[in-house]
Amino acid sequence: MNDIFAIAYQWAKDDPPRKIDEKYYCETRDIFQSRLDSMVNLLLKNSKIAENDIYILSAIAGEIGNNSFDHNLGNWPDIAGAFFAYEFNKKELTVVLADRGRGILATLKRVKPELKNDEEALKTAFNEKISGRAPESRGNGLKFVKESIKQTKNHLTFISGTAKTELNEKMEISQAEKINGCLALISN
Amino acid sequence: MRIELKKFGDILISRPAGREAYLIISSNLINVIKEEENIVIDFAGVKVLTPSWADEVITKLAENYFVKVENTGNPTVRETLKTLSRYSGLRVS
Repeated sequence: MNDIFAIAYQWAKDDPPRKIDEKYYCETRDIFQSRLDSMVNLLLKNSKIAENDIYILSAIAGEIGNNSFDHNLGNWPDIAGAFFAYEFNKKELTVVLADRGRGILATLKRVKPELKNDEEALKTAFNEKISGRAPESRGNGLKFVKESIKQTKNHLTFISGTAKTELNEKMEISQAEKINGCLALISN
Repeated sequence: MRIELKKFGDILISRPAGREAYLIISSNLINVIKEEENIVIDFAGVKVLTPSWADEVITKLAENYFVKVENTGNPTVRETLKTLSRYSGLRVS
């Protein structure tokens, strides 16, 4: 298992939560945005990843990271903010994001109360037109993530609650060990 | 009227930043746009765009004005516009 993924997984899983290294912890959206900007510039300067792939992978990370703040602001169960870390060598990039928020099911239940479990919630979030912040008619982020991953042949592992999806050209959803909030691993 | 999005930054990802951009654009539009005038949104120089930012700006502008888009070659711009047209009912030319 990738090191930064293992750290994020443990942080999302532990009850009570343990402290994580400041370099991975974005308490506010501003911190997340500035670290994402730095990642883009660092990759453009120091990696051999195609420029367009850098932009797409960054947009995917940006959308997932911002979701943590959009859907949990004022409602964090324990720790506010998000985990954000990345590793790269010349042509490979791994980005890991996590939060200890309410998770997809609790967010979507506000607008789709018939959702029964985390697996149904993940399927809905990645496929259906729906907003987790009714009455705003917003919430297209994860559909964008799915299409971008498919088109660029990158890979996303996304866990929320007790459900996990592996997404590349196909999308497979399965049960997983429970975590708090959401956890994402993006790789090219 | 022409709006150059790069003036708001080249990495446009968050919903609050989009809201702020929309407020600025709207207050400028009230003063200068003529009746029946189109808005041209120029994406030149934008490196990373997400639906969250664009939903707050492009979708809202297109609800009130006829919007044309230019320089949409960046893959995140293309995919964002596609997503908004499919899920937010965005109509631009």
